[in-house]
Amino acid sequence: MRDLAFVGFLVAVLLLGFRRPFIFVLAYVYIDVVSPQRLSYFLLNSIPISLIFFALALVSWLMVDDKAESRIAPRQGLILALLLYCWGTTGNADFPVEAAEKWDWVWKALVFALFLPLTLRTRVRFESLGLFLVLSAASIIIVGGIKTLASGGGYGVLNLMATTNTGLYESSTVSTVAIAIIPLILYLMRYGTIFPPDWRVKTFCFALCFACLLIPIGTEARTGLVCIAALGPLMLRHNKRRFLYLAIVGALGLASLPFLPSSFTSRMDTITEYKADSSASTRVAVWKWTLDYVDLHPFGGGFDAYRGNSIRYEAVKNETAGGQTEATTTLIVDKSRAYHSSYFEMLGEQGWPGLILWLMIHGIGIFRMEILRRRYERRSDPNVVWIGKLADALQQGHIIYLVGSLFVGMAFQPFVYMLVGMQIGLDTYASRRAKEARFRPMRQPIVDIATPKSFS
Amino acid sequence: MIDNFSLGLTHGLLLLVAWRLIFRADVDRETAPKPDEKPGGWADQRPPDA
Repeated sequence: MRDLAFVGFLVAVLLLGFRRPFIFVLAYVYIDVVSPQRLSYFLLNSIPISLIFFALALVSWLMVDDKAESRIAPRQGLILALLLYCWGTTGNADFPVEAAEKWDWVWKALVFALFLPLTLRTRVRFESLGLFLVLSAASIIIVGGIKTLASGGGYGVLNLMATTNTGLYESSTVSTVAIAIIPLILYLMRYGTIFPPDWRVKTFCFALCFACLLIPIGTEARTGLVCIAALGPLMLRHNKRRFLYLAIVGALGLASLPFLPSSFTSRMDTITEYKADSSASTRVAVWKWTLDYVDLHPFGGGFDAYRGNSIRYEAVKNETAGGQTEATTTLIVDKSRAYHSSYFEMLGEQGWPGLILWLMIHGIGIFRMEILRRRYERRSDPNVVWIGKLADALQQGHIIYLVGSLFVGMAFQPFVYMLVGMQIGLDTYASRRAKEARFRPMRQPIVDIATPKSFS
Repeated sequence: MIDNFSLGLTHGLLLLVAWRLIFRADVDRETAPKPDEKPGGWADQRPPDA
């Protein structure tokens, strides 16, 4: 039954796409985020729907879309450089089979990030892309939110529909992305034109934000809590009623404490006791291994190079008995442990050049959004105010991703590269519109100059 | 039940977005922006009576 519903949905989107070819781009975004083929038992899992919709999006853009307004930004050059560099390291990878497997989805994410900005030419396109990203992620987040309310969730327990541990179905990734899209949800709620702000839109958006905040609780991914902590000051930054905001957040935080499952609070306590926690100690040991590894291999070991690691560390546990605290040390030996950090993932897999390219792509993104935000901050024309607000939302989401990336290996998460593509598109769009607004017909100044002041 | 509720709600809204795009001409073409109220860039440096 569900399979038929998915097929019906895709056929409907396909038909609408023939009326408005930009819908093919949106459909690809949807398929990449939701992966309906993974939720389906038959029919869809045998058809390469992702490839079909990408081909449709590309061909319709090449044949129908107006390319005179498309611009190329320097960051697309950086993404292309990263793509070519990763292709090179895949050829010389330490683990060629595993590296080829990861390369298979990484190149698609990067190529789409290159392509997406070229199609984003109008405000409605940005808005509809934002809606597709948010609603696609919402299909997973709403499930997680309701199940958390119903059962309390648990680490590795919360069932997010698919059995796979990839994409947004991975608990730490979905925790980060759920928090990162909150600013975008609030932007769409305030500045939407497809769904203009009314009580229904506001109710849905606030409920969705609440579900987003429940995801780190439901998945018990500690990264999510760190991301929420990062979101707080970011939201505060441009809030006019800061004290009211702080009071509401504080009250909500205190009110939620009794409702948090005890497994959640005990797991969050381990953030401060990282020495006793094998997961956290393993991370530190893997990061040390990565630094030693790049000393010998400065150009990285290709995708999945972590498989070659073998680590030993001492876990220290403090036990208090009868008023005395005793520290017990256990030697732990482990191997093939993943990076658990996007920064170290880039460093170990792509070496220093890869890490520098990656940092530039993300760093320039945050910097450019800051410039856009400031440029449109004091403008009153409702036709351009949205640019600054969207830049602000995208920047906040990006910072949250970079904070989450400290503890989760998701350097090539396709969802994030779509946000990066959206940023690049917004940047080139704003430059083009500003240039158009500056343009004056040649005739105008001549008339002005020719008219003596006394006659005017 | 929960899965189907979430999938139904979000997919319905996605379809509604796509449907509304059909009737929006500004998806593909926008009107030219209004000229800036005051000139920016180098034009800003000109004396007002130039």
